Amino acid sequence: MGKPEVKGTVTPLSSMFPPEEVQKAAKLVEEKLSEKRNEMSQLKEFIADNTSLINLVQKLPDELHHDIMVPFGKAAFFPGRLIHTNEFLVLLGESYYADRTAKQTVDILKRRGKSLMSKVDALKAEMQDLKAEASFFDSTASEVAEDLVEIREYEEDNSNQSESQSGPTELESPTLAETDHKMDSKMGASKDDEYARLMSRLEELEKEELAAENGEIDEDEDEDEDEDANATETDGDENELTEAAFHRKKDEGYSSLDHGQRFSESQPTRQLQQSKGKEAMREEISNKYNHQDLTNQFSCTGLTAEPLTKGEMSCGRIIHQDKMLNPSVNASVPSENKPVQTSKSKFDSSKAFTGSIVEHTENLEKKTPGQNTTPSESSGSKPSKPVSRFKMQRK
Amino acid sequence: MDSLRQEKIHKFEEFVDRRLKPDLVRAIAERDKVFDQQKIFSDLRKNIENLEKNSVTNLRTLVNLGSEVYMQAEVPDTQRIFVDVGLGFHVEFTWSEALKFISLREEKLERQIEEYTRLIASIKAQIKLVCEGIRELLQIPEEKTVEGRVF
Repeated sequence: MGKPEVKGTVTPLSSMFPPEEVQKAAKLVEEKLSEKRNEMSQLKEFIADNTSLINLVQKLPDELHHDIMVPFGKAAFFPGRLIHTNEFLVLLGESYYADRTAKQTVDILKRRGKSLMSKVDALKAEMQDLKAEASFFDSTASEVAEDLVEIREYEEDNSNQSESQSGPTELESPTLAETDHKMDSKMGASKDDEYARLMSRLEELEKEELAAENGEIDEDEDEDEDEDANATETDGDENELTEAAFHRKKDEGYSSLDHGQRFSESQPTRQLQQSKGKEAMREEISNKYNHQDLTNQFSCTGLTAEPLTKGEMSCGRIIHQDKMLNPSVNASVPSENKPVQTSKSKFDSSKAFTGSIVEHTENLEKKTPGQNTTPSESSGSKPSKPVSRFKMQRK
Repeated sequence: MDSLRQEKIHKFEEFVDRRLKPDLVRAIAERDKVFDQQKIFSDLRKNIENLEKNSVTNLRTLVNLGSEVYMQAEVPDTQRIFVDVGLGFHVEFTWSEALKFISLREEKLERQIEEYTRLIASIKAQIKLVCEGIRELLQIPEEKTVEGRVF
Protein backbone atom coordinates (compact mmCIF):
# COMPACT_ATOMS: atom_id res chain seq x y z
CA MET A 1 0.00 0.00 0.00
CA GLY A 2 1.33 3.29 -0.83
CA LYS A 3 1.70 5.54 2.00
CA PRO A 4 -1.44 7.52 2.17
CA GLU A 5 -1.32 11.23 2.04
CA VAL A 6 -1.79 12.83 5.31
CA LYS A 7 -3.08 16.27 5.45
CA GLY A 8 -4.10 17.98 8.54
CA THR A 9 -5.22 21.12 10.19
CA VAL A 10 -4.54 22.37 13.60
CA THR A 11 -7.16 24.50 15.16
CA PRO A 12 -6.87 25.93 18.59
CA LEU A 13 -9.96 25.27 20.57
CA SER A 14 -10.08 28.83 21.68
CA SER A 15 -10.99 29.82 18.16
CA MET A 16 -13.93 27.51 18.17
CA PHE A 17 -15.08 28.35 21.67
CA PRO A 18 -13.89 31.79 22.53
CA PRO A 19 -13.06 31.78 26.21
CA GLU A 20 -14.96 34.94 27.04
CA GLU A 21 -18.10 33.66 25.48
CA VAL A 22 -17.79 30.37 27.23
CA GLN A 23 -17.40 32.16 30.51
CA LYS A 24 -20.33 34.37 29.75
CA ALA A 25 -22.46 31.40 28.94
CA ALA A 26 -21.36 29.74 32.14
CA LYS A 27 -22.31 32.83 34.12
CA LEU A 28 -25.72 33.05 32.52
CA VAL A 29 -26.43 29.49 33.40
CA GLU A 30 -25.26 30.13 36.95
CA GLU A 31 -27.64 33.02 37.28
CA LYS A 32 -30.55 31.05 36.01
CA LEU A 33 -29.62 28.30 38.40
CA SER A 34 -29.62 30.65 41.37
CA GLU A 35 -32.98 32.01 40.31
CA LYS A 36 -34.38 28.56 40.26
CA ARG A 37 -32.90 27.91 43.67
CA ASN A 38 -34.68 30.92 45.08
CA GLU A 39 -37.94 29.77 43.62
CA MET A 40 -37.33 26.37 45.05
CA SER A 41 -36.76 27.73 48.55
CA GLN A 42 -39.89 29.81 48.28
CA LEU A 43 -41.95 26.82 47.24
CA LYS A 44 -40.53 24.82 50.12
CA GLU A 45 -41.57 27.57 52.48
CA PHE A 46 -45.09 27.43 51.14
CA ILE A 47 -45.18 23.70 51.61
CA ALA A 48 -44.00 24.02 55.21
CA ASP A 49 -46.64 26.64 55.94
CA ASN A 50 -49.28 24.46 54.41
CA THR A 51 -48.40 21.49 56.56
CA SER A 52 -48.37 23.54 59.76
CA LEU A 53 -51.74 25.00 58.83
CA ILE A 54 -53.15 21.53 58.32
CA ASN A 55 -52.02 20.60 61.81
CA LEU A 56 -53.59 23.73 63.27
CA VAL A 57 -56.88 23.22 61.51
CA GLN A 58 -57.01 19.69 62.80
CA LYS A 59 -56.38 20.77 66.38
CA LEU A 60 -58.74 23.72 66.65
CA PRO A 61 -62.06 21.86 66.73
CA ASP A 62 -60.89 20.11 69.89
CA GLU A 63 -62.13 23.05 71.95
CA LEU A 64 -65.31 25.07 71.86
CA HIS A 65 -63.50 28.34 72.36
CA HIS A 66 -59.91 29.41 72.21
CA ASP A 67 -58.66 32.48 74.04
CA ILE A 68 -56.56 34.48 71.70
CA MET A 69 -55.28 37.93 70.99
CA VAL A 70 -57.24 39.19 68.06
CA PRO A 71 -55.17 41.42 65.79
CA PHE A 72 -56.58 44.75 64.94
CA GLY A 73 -54.67 46.01 61.98
CA LYS A 74 -50.95 45.45 61.98
CA ALA A 75 -50.03 47.16 65.19
CA ALA A 76 -52.74 46.43 67.76
CA PHE A 77 -54.44 43.50 69.46
CA PHE A 78 -57.63 42.87 71.28
CA PRO A 79 -57.95 40.08 73.79
CA GLY A 80 -60.70 37.82 72.53
CA ARG A 81 -61.88 34.32 71.79
CA LEU A 82 -62.07 32.08 68.78
CA ILE A 83 -65.63 30.86 68.38
CA HIS A 84 -67.33 28.42 66.03
CA THR A 85 -64.19 26.44 66.02
CA ASN A 86 -65.35 24.04 63.36
CA GLU A 87 -66.17 26.63 60.74
CA PHE A 88 -63.46 27.84 58.43
CA LEU A 89 -63.67 30.43 55.71
CA VAL A 90 -61.30 29.36 52.95
CA LEU A 91 -60.21 31.55 50.07
CA LEU A 92 -60.63 29.69 46.82
CA GLY A 93 -59.13 32.44 44.71
CA GLU A 94 -60.58 35.37 42.80
CA SER A 95 -62.28 36.68 45.94
CA TYR A 96 -64.37 33.53 46.24
CA TYR A 97 -64.62 32.11 49.74
CA ALA A 98 -66.07 28.89 51.03
CA ASP A 99 -67.33 28.01 54.48
CA ARG A 100 -65.98 24.62 55.31
CA THR A 101 -65.62 22.31 58.27
CA ALA A 102 -62.27 21.28 59.63
CA LYS A 103 -62.14 18.01 57.74
CA GLN A 104 -63.10 19.62 54.47
CA THR A 105 -60.55 22.35 54.99
CA VAL A 106 -57.86 19.77 55.59
CA ASP A 107 -58.78 18.13 52.28
CA ILE A 108 -58.52 21.44 50.47
CA LEU A 109 -55.14 22.13 52.04
CA LYS A 110 -53.88 18.66 51.17
CA ARG A 111 -54.80 19.16 47.54
CA ARG A 112 -52.96 22.46 47.59
CA GLY A 113 -49.92 20.71 49.04
CA LYS A 114 -49.95 18.16 46.24
CA SER A 115 -49.92 20.79 43.56
CA LEU A 116 -47.05 22.52 45.32
CA MET A 117 -45.08 19.26 45.40
CA SER A 118 -45.57 18.74 41.70
CA LYS A 119 -44.29 22.28 41.11
CA VAL A 120 -41.24 21.50 43.20
CA ASP A 121 -40.54 18.38 41.15
CA ALA A 122 -40.80 20.29 37.90
CA LEU A 123 -38.43 22.89 39.26
CA LYS A 124 -35.96 20.20 40.32
CA ALA A 125 -35.93 18.78 36.82
CA GLU A 126 -35.23 22.21 35.41
CA MET A 127 -32.40 22.70 37.84
CA GLN A 128 -30.87 19.41 36.80
CA ASP A 129 -30.82 20.48 33.21
CA LEU A 130 -29.26 23.77 34.11
CA LYS A 131 -26.61 22.03 36.19
CA ALA A 132 -25.70 19.79 33.28
CA GLU A 133 -25.38 22.82 31.07
CA ALA A 134 -23.23 24.57 33.62
CA SER A 135 -20.89 21.64 34.00
CA PHE A 136 -20.50 21.40 30.26
CA PHE A 137 -19.65 25.06 30.03
CA ASP A 138 -17.20 24.79 32.89
CA SER A 139 -15.38 21.90 31.32
CA THR A 140 -15.30 23.64 27.98
CA ALA A 141 -13.96 26.77 29.60
CA SER A 142 -11.23 24.89 31.37
CA GLU A 143 -10.28 23.08 28.25
CA VAL A 144 -10.18 26.23 26.25
CA ALA A 145 -8.10 27.81 28.94
CA GLU A 146 -5.62 25.02 28.64
CA ASP A 147 -5.13 25.83 25.00
CA LEU A 148 -6.31 22.59 23.66
CA VAL A 149 -5.85 22.36 19.99
CA GLU A 150 -7.90 20.39 17.64
CA ILE A 151 -5.85 18.39 15.25
CA ARG A 152 -7.41 17.01 12.22
CA GLU A 153 -5.72 14.67 9.94
CA TYR A 154 -6.99 13.56 6.68
CA GLU A 155 -5.71 10.44 5.26
CA GLU A 156 -6.51 9.16 1.88
CA ASP A 157 -6.06 5.59 1.08
CA ASN A 158 -6.24 3.81 -2.20
CA SER A 159 -9.97 3.81 -2.12
CA ASN A 160 -9.84 7.52 -1.58
CA GLN A 161 -11.57 7.41 1.67
CA SER A 162 -10.71 10.14 4.01
CA GLU A 163 -10.46 9.87 7.65
CA SER A 164 -10.45 12.67 10.04
CA GLN A 165 -9.46 12.59 13.56
CA SER A 166 -8.92 15.18 16.11
CA GLY A 167 -6.68 15.30 19.03
CA PRO A 168 -5.44 17.86 21.35
CA THR A 169 -1.89 18.88 21.05
CA GLU A 170 -1.50 18.34 24.69
CA LEU A 171 -3.04 15.00 24.38
CA GLU A 172 -5.96 16.00 26.37
CA SER A 173 -9.28 14.69 25.52
CA PRO A 174 -11.72 17.19 24.26
CA THR A 175 -15.03 17.31 25.89
CA LEU A 176 -17.90 15.54 24.42
CA ALA A 177 -19.15 18.74 22.99
CA GLU A 178 -15.87 19.42 21.37
CA THR A 179 -15.87 16.01 19.92
CA ASP A 180 -19.29 16.57 18.59
CA HIS A 181 -18.18 19.81 17.17
CA LYS A 182 -15.20 18.24 15.57
CA MET A 183 -17.25 15.45 14.32
CA ASP A 184 -19.55 17.81 12.65
CA SER A 185 -16.77 19.68 11.01
CA LYS A 186 -15.04 16.52 10.12
CA MET A 187 -18.09 15.20 8.56
CA GLY A 188 -18.11 18.16 6.37
CA ALA A 189 -14.65 17.26 5.31
CA SER A 190 -15.25 13.62 4.66
CA LYS A 191 -17.52 12.20 2.16
CA ASP A 192 -21.08 12.23 3.21
CA ASP A 193 -22.27 9.11 1.60
CA GLU A 194 -19.33 7.22 2.90
CA TYR A 195 -20.13 8.50 6.29
CA ALA A 196 -23.76 7.60 6.07
CA ARG A 197 -22.92 4.13 4.99
CA LEU A 198 -20.42 3.68 7.69
CA MET A 199 -22.69 5.09 10.32
CA SER A 200 -25.49 2.75 9.54
CA ARG A 201 -23.17 -0.19 9.56
CA LEU A 202 -21.62 0.91 12.77
CA GLU A 203 -24.96 1.14 14.40
CA GLU A 204 -25.83 -2.33 13.34
CA LEU A 205 -22.60 -3.66 14.59
CA GLU A 206 -23.01 -1.70 17.74
CA LYS A 207 -26.26 -3.38 18.48
CA GLU A 208 -24.81 -6.75 17.80
CA GLU A 209 -21.89 -6.03 19.98
CA LEU A 210 -24.00 -4.79 22.78
CA ALA A 211 -26.02 -7.91 22.77
CA ALA A 212 -22.97 -10.06 22.59
CA GLU A 213 -21.05 -8.10 25.13
CA ASN A 214 -23.58 -8.42 27.81
CA GLY A 215 -22.78 -11.79 29.02
CA GLU A 216 -19.44 -12.66 27.60
CA ILE A 217 -15.91 -12.21 28.47
CA ASP A 218 -14.76 -9.26 26.61
CA GLU A 219 -11.39 -10.57 25.94
CA ASP A 220 -12.49 -13.70 24.31
CA GLU A 221 -14.96 -11.89 22.27
CA ASP A 222 -12.52 -9.35 21.23
CA GLU A 223 -9.92 -11.84 20.38
CA ASP A 224 -12.29 -13.86 18.37
CA GLU A 225 -13.59 -10.86 16.71
CA ASP A 226 -10.19 -9.57 16.08
CA GLU A 227 -9.11 -12.68 14.40
CA ASP A 228 -12.14 -12.76 12.31
CA ALA A 229 -11.79 -9.19 11.48
CA ASN A 230 -8.29 -9.49 10.35
CA ALA A 231 -9.37 -9.73 6.84
CA THR A 232 -12.18 -7.32 6.71
CA GLU A 233 -12.94 -3.93 7.89
CA THR A 234 -16.33 -4.85 9.08
CA ASP A 235 -14.87 -7.16 11.56
CA GLY A 236 -12.69 -4.42 12.65
CA ASP A 237 -15.69 -2.27 13.09
CA GLU A 238 -17.31 -4.96 15.06
CA ASN A 239 -14.37 -5.27 17.22
CA GLU A 240 -14.31 -1.68 17.74
CA LEU A 241 -17.92 -1.74 18.51
CA THR A 242 -17.41 -4.55 20.88
CA GLU A 243 -14.68 -2.70 22.50
CA ALA A 244 -16.86 0.27 22.68
CA ALA A 245 -19.66 -1.73 24.10
CA PHE A 246 -17.39 -3.33 26.55
CA HIS A 247 -16.09 -0.11 27.71
CA ARG A 248 -19.51 1.21 27.82
CA LYS A 249 -20.46 -1.55 30.06
CA LYS A 250 -17.69 -0.65 32.28
CA ASP A 251 -19.31 2.63 32.52
CA GLU A 252 -16.39 4.32 31.12
CA GLY A 253 -16.99 6.85 28.60
CA TYR A 254 -14.22 8.27 26.68
CA SER A 255 -14.70 9.91 23.44
CA SER A 256 -11.33 8.75 22.58
CA LEU A 257 -12.11 5.31 23.69
CA ASP A 258 -14.74 4.92 21.13
CA HIS A 259 -12.40 6.21 18.60
CA GLY A 260 -9.72 3.94 19.75
CA GLN A 261 -11.99 1.06 19.37
CA ARG A 262 -12.79 2.04 15.93
CA PHE A 263 -9.18 2.12 15.27
CA SER A 264 -8.44 -1.11 13.68
CA GLU A 265 -5.05 -2.23 13.05
CA SER A 266 -4.68 -5.82 12.65
CA GLN A 267 -1.67 -7.82 13.15
CA PRO A 268 -1.46 -11.37 14.16
CA THR A 269 1.05 -10.67 16.82
CA ARG A 270 -1.09 -8.05 18.23
CA GLN A 271 -4.02 -10.26 18.70
CA LEU A 272 -2.25 -12.24 21.26
CA GLN A 273 -1.42 -9.18 23.13
CA GLN A 274 -4.82 -7.83 22.50
CA SER A 275 -6.54 -9.70 25.19
CA LYS A 276 -4.04 -8.66 27.74
CA GLY A 277 -3.94 -5.21 26.44
CA LYS A 278 -7.64 -4.97 26.43
CA GLU A 279 -7.95 -5.97 29.98
CA ALA A 280 -5.33 -3.62 31.10
CA MET A 281 -6.71 -0.97 28.92
CA ARG A 282 -10.14 -1.45 30.21
CA GLU A 283 -9.10 -1.32 33.74
CA GLU A 284 -6.98 1.63 33.23
CA ILE A 285 -9.59 3.28 31.22
CA SER A 286 -12.07 2.82 33.94
CA ASN A 287 -9.64 4.22 36.38
CA LYS A 288 -8.68 7.07 34.30
CA TYR A 289 -11.60 8.35 32.53
CA ASN A 290 -14.60 10.09 33.78
CA HIS A 291 -17.92 8.90 32.74
CA GLN A 292 -18.97 10.29 29.52
CA ASP A 293 -21.77 9.58 27.33
CA LEU A 294 -20.42 6.63 25.49
CA THR A 295 -23.20 6.42 23.04
CA ASN A 296 -22.75 9.96 22.06
CA GLN A 297 -19.12 9.48 21.70
CA PHE A 298 -19.62 6.38 19.85
CA SER A 299 -21.81 8.06 17.40
CA CYS A 300 -19.33 10.83 17.30
CA THR A 301 -16.63 8.46 16.57
CA GLY A 302 -18.84 6.96 14.01
CA LEU A 303 -18.72 10.20 12.26
CA THR A 304 -15.04 10.22 12.36
CA ALA A 305 -14.83 6.57 11.72
CA GLU A 306 -16.46 6.96 8.46
CA PRO A 307 -13.53 8.45 6.80
CA LEU A 308 -11.31 5.64 7.84
CA THR A 309 -10.56 3.42 5.03
CA LYS A 310 -11.03 -0.14 5.53
CA GLY A 311 -7.95 -1.93 6.30
CA GLU A 312 -6.08 1.20 6.78
CA MET A 313 -4.13 1.84 9.78
CA SER A 314 -5.45 4.65 11.72
CA CYS A 315 -4.00 7.76 10.48
CA GLY A 316 -4.82 9.91 13.35
CA ARG A 317 -5.47 9.23 16.86
CA ILE A 318 -7.48 11.04 19.26
CA ILE A 319 -5.89 11.03 22.50
CA HIS A 320 -8.41 11.65 25.06
CA GLN A 321 -7.49 12.18 28.52
CA ASP A 322 -9.49 13.99 30.99
CA LYS A 323 -7.54 16.78 32.25
CA MET A 324 -9.13 16.40 35.52
CA LEU A 325 -7.93 12.90 35.81
CA ASN A 326 -4.28 13.03 36.23
CA PRO A 327 -1.79 15.62 35.37
CA SER A 328 0.71 12.87 35.31
CA VAL A 329 -1.32 11.19 32.73
CA ASN A 330 -1.10 14.20 30.59
CA ALA A 331 2.59 14.32 31.03
CA SER A 332 3.01 10.77 30.08
CA VAL A 333 0.56 10.93 27.27
CA PRO A 334 2.76 12.71 24.82
CA SER A 335 5.52 10.28 25.26
CA GLU A 336 3.20 7.44 25.11
CA ASN A 337 1.30 8.62 22.17
CA LYS A 338 2.70 6.03 19.97
CA PRO A 339 2.62 3.24 22.43
CA VAL A 340 -0.98 3.91 23.18
CA GLN A 341 -1.80 3.67 19.63
CA THR A 342 -0.05 0.45 19.29
CA SER A 343 -1.82 -0.89 22.28
CA LYS A 344 -5.02 0.13 20.73
CA SER A 345 -4.08 -1.59 17.61
CA LYS A 346 -3.78 -4.71 19.60
CA PHE A 347 -7.44 -4.80 20.12
CA ASP A 348 -8.33 -4.18 16.63
CA SER A 349 -5.62 -6.05 14.96
CA SER A 350 -6.19 -6.31 11.30
CA LYS A 351 -9.21 -4.14 11.54
CA ALA A 352 -9.65 -1.10 9.54
CA PHE A 353 -9.11 1.83 11.65
CA THR A 354 -12.35 3.61 11.60
CA GLY A 355 -11.93 6.06 14.32
CA SER A 356 -9.66 7.80 16.59
CA ILE A 357 -7.50 6.00 18.93
CA VAL A 358 -7.85 6.47 22.55
CA GLU A 359 -4.65 6.60 24.32
CA HIS A 360 -4.48 5.82 27.92
CA THR A 361 -1.28 6.75 29.52
CA GLU A 362 -1.41 3.93 31.96
CA ASN A 363 -2.09 1.50 29.27
CA LEU A 364 0.45 3.09 27.18
CA GLU A 365 3.14 2.51 29.68
CA LYS A 366 2.33 -1.11 29.95
CA LYS A 367 1.84 -1.74 26.37
CA THR A 368 4.47 0.50 25.11
CA PRO A 369 7.33 -1.85 25.54
CA GLY A 370 5.63 -4.61 23.68
CA GLN A 371 4.03 -2.41 21.19
CA ASN A 372 6.93 -0.28 20.47
CA THR A 373 8.93 -3.11 19.13
CA THR A 374 6.36 -4.11 16.62
CA PRO A 375 5.86 -0.72 15.17
CA SER A 376 9.51 -0.04 15.03
CA GLU A 377 10.05 -3.28 13.32
CA SER A 378 7.37 -2.77 10.84
CA SER A 379 8.30 0.71 9.98
CA GLY A 380 11.18 2.96 10.30
CA SER A 381 11.14 5.89 12.55
CA LYS A 382 7.70 7.29 12.59
CA PRO A 383 6.72 10.84 12.80
CA SER A 384 4.83 11.96 15.80
CA LYS A 385 1.61 11.05 14.12
CA PRO A 386 0.55 7.67 15.27
CA VAL A 387 -1.33 7.10 12.11
CA SER A 388 1.65 6.41 10.08
CA ARG A 389 2.89 3.89 12.51
CA PHE A 390 -0.23 1.91 12.36
CA LYS A 391 -0.34 2.11 8.73
CA MET A 392 3.01 0.65 8.60
CA GLN A 393 2.03 -2.08 10.87
CA ARG A 394 -0.90 -2.99 8.86
CA LYS A 395 1.11 -3.68 5.85
CA MET B 1 -7.08 64.13 24.32
CA ASP B 2 -10.24 62.47 23.33
CA SER B 3 -9.38 59.22 24.95
CA LEU B 4 -8.65 60.98 28.20
CA ARG B 5 -11.99 62.66 28.05
CA GLN B 6 -13.71 59.43 27.23
CA GLU B 7 -12.07 57.89 30.21
CA LYS B 8 -13.25 60.63 32.49
CA ILE B 9 -16.75 60.42 31.17
CA HIS B 10 -16.66 56.71 31.62
CA LYS B 11 -15.54 57.12 35.20
CA PHE B 12 -18.26 59.61 35.95
CA GLU B 13 -20.89 57.40 34.47
CA GLU B 14 -19.65 54.47 36.46
CA PHE B 15 -19.72 56.51 39.61
CA VAL B 16 -23.29 57.46 38.99
CA ASP B 17 -24.37 53.98 38.16
CA ARG B 18 -22.55 52.18 40.87
CA ARG B 19 -22.70 54.49 43.82
CA LEU B 20 -25.31 57.11 43.44
CA LYS B 21 -28.12 55.21 41.81
CA PRO B 22 -28.12 52.31 44.26
CA ASP B 23 -27.91 54.77 47.10
CA LEU B 24 -30.95 56.49 45.73
CA VAL B 25 -32.82 53.25 45.40
CA ARG B 26 -32.01 52.26 48.94
CA ALA B 27 -33.03 55.59 50.38
CA ILE B 28 -36.32 55.45 48.55
CA ALA B 29 -36.96 51.94 49.84
CA GLU B 30 -36.34 53.01 53.41
CA ARG B 31 -38.63 55.94 53.05
CA ASP B 32 -41.35 53.70 51.66
CA LYS B 33 -41.09 51.51 54.71
CA VAL B 34 -41.66 54.47 56.95
CA PHE B 35 -44.59 55.45 54.79
CA ASP B 36 -46.10 52.03 55.36
CA GLN B 37 -45.72 52.34 59.09
CA GLN B 38 -47.33 55.70 59.00
CA LYS B 39 -50.26 54.31 57.05
CA ILE B 40 -50.70 51.48 59.56
CA PHE B 41 -50.90 53.83 62.46
CA SER B 42 -53.23 56.22 60.74
CA ASP B 43 -55.54 53.32 59.89
CA LEU B 44 -55.47 52.21 63.48
CA ARG B 45 -56.31 55.64 64.67
CA LYS B 46 -59.25 55.85 62.32
CA ASN B 47 -60.54 52.50 63.50
CA ILE B 48 -60.30 53.41 67.14
CA GLU B 49 -62.09 56.67 66.48
CA ASN B 50 -64.76 54.68 64.69
CA LEU B 51 -65.16 52.33 67.60
CA GLU B 52 -65.44 55.22 69.97
CA LYS B 53 -67.97 56.94 67.80
CA ASN B 54 -70.20 53.91 67.57
CA SER B 55 -69.56 52.82 71.13
CA VAL B 56 -68.79 49.36 70.02
CA THR B 57 -68.21 46.97 72.84
CA ASN B 58 -68.47 43.61 71.15
CA LEU B 59 -66.68 42.79 68.02
CA ARG B 60 -66.90 39.85 65.66
CA THR B 61 -63.99 39.48 63.31
CA LEU B 62 -62.46 36.89 61.03
CA VAL B 63 -58.96 35.90 62.02
CA ASN B 64 -56.52 34.78 59.36
CA LEU B 65 -55.05 31.45 60.44
CA GLY B 66 -52.55 31.52 57.59
CA SER B 67 -52.85 30.98 53.84
CA GLU B 68 -56.13 32.88 53.86
CA VAL B 69 -58.05 30.45 56.03
CA TYR B 70 -60.26 32.45 58.37
CA MET B 71 -62.00 31.66 61.58
CA GLN B 72 -64.57 33.64 63.47
CA ALA B 73 -63.37 35.40 66.58
CA GLU B 74 -65.23 37.42 69.13
CA VAL B 75 -63.98 40.33 71.16
CA PRO B 76 -66.22 40.70 74.18
CA ASP B 77 -64.64 43.82 75.55
CA THR B 78 -63.14 46.39 73.26
CA GLN B 79 -62.15 48.78 75.98
CA ARG B 80 -58.69 47.37 76.27
CA ILE B 81 -56.44 47.49 73.30
CA PHE B 82 -52.82 46.41 73.11
CA VAL B 83 -50.69 48.56 70.87
CA ASP B 84 -47.27 47.72 69.51
CA VAL B 85 -44.82 50.25 70.85
CA GLY B 86 -41.76 48.78 69.23
CA LEU B 87 -39.03 46.35 70.30
CA GLY B 88 -41.63 43.58 70.55
CA PHE B 89 -43.67 45.22 73.32
CA HIS B 90 -47.40 45.69 73.33
CA VAL B 91 -48.85 48.07 75.87
CA GLU B 92 -52.37 47.87 77.16
CA PHE B 93 -54.23 51.08 76.47
CA THR B 94 -57.65 52.47 76.80
CA TRP B 95 -59.03 54.16 73.74
CA SER B 96 -58.03 57.67 74.62
CA GLU B 97 -54.55 56.60 75.72
CA ALA B 98 -54.19 54.68 72.52
CA LEU B 99 -55.14 57.68 70.48
CA LYS B 100 -52.63 59.84 72.28
CA PHE B 101 -49.90 57.33 71.72
CA ILE B 102 -50.75 56.96 68.09
CA SER B 103 -50.53 60.68 67.46
CA LEU B 104 -47.12 60.80 69.12
CA ARG B 105 -46.01 57.90 66.97
CA GLU B 106 -47.22 59.55 63.84
CA GLU B 107 -45.21 62.67 64.60
CA LYS B 108 -42.05 60.64 64.99
CA LEU B 109 -42.71 58.88 61.72
CA GLU B 110 -43.22 62.14 59.94
CA ARG B 111 -39.88 63.41 61.12
CA GLN B 112 -38.23 60.26 59.84
CA ILE B 113 -39.90 60.66 56.50
CA GLU B 114 -38.64 64.17 56.20
CA GLU B 115 -35.10 63.08 56.89
CA TYR B 116 -35.29 60.45 54.21
CA THR B 117 -36.75 62.93 51.80
CA ARG B 118 -33.83 65.26 52.37
CA LEU B 119 -31.36 62.43 51.82
CA ILE B 120 -33.06 61.41 48.61
CA ALA B 121 -33.02 64.98 47.38
CA SER B 122 -29.30 65.32 48.03
CA ILE B 123 -28.54 62.10 46.18
CA LYS B 124 -30.60 63.25 43.26
CA ALA B 125 -28.72 66.53 43.24
CA GLN B 126 -25.39 64.71 43.16
CA ILE B 127 -26.54 62.60 40.25
CA LYS B 128 -27.57 65.72 38.43
CA LEU B 129 -24.21 67.32 39.13
CA VAL B 130 -22.27 64.43 37.70
CA CYS B 131 -24.49 64.35 34.65
CA GLU B 132 -23.82 68.01 34.10
CA GLY B 133 -20.13 67.37 34.36
CA ILE B 134 -20.37 64.66 31.75
CA ARG B 135 -22.33 66.95 29.55
CA GLU B 136 -19.69 69.63 29.84
CA LEU B 137 -17.02 67.18 28.88
CA LEU B 138 -19.01 66.14 25.88
CA GLN B 139 -19.71 69.77 25.18
CA ILE B 140 -23.29 69.12 24.52
CA PRO B 141 -25.19 72.37 24.41
CA GLU B 142 -26.91 73.23 27.64
CA GLU B 143 -30.46 72.20 28.00
CA LYS B 144 -32.64 75.15 28.29
CA THR B 145 -34.68 75.22 31.44
CA VAL B 146 -38.30 75.84 30.84
CA GLU B 147 -38.84 79.46 31.45
CA GLY B 148 -42.11 80.94 32.30
CA ARG B 149 -43.50 83.39 29.95
CA VAL B 150 -42.34 86.84 30.70
CA PHE B 151 -45.01 89.31 30.12
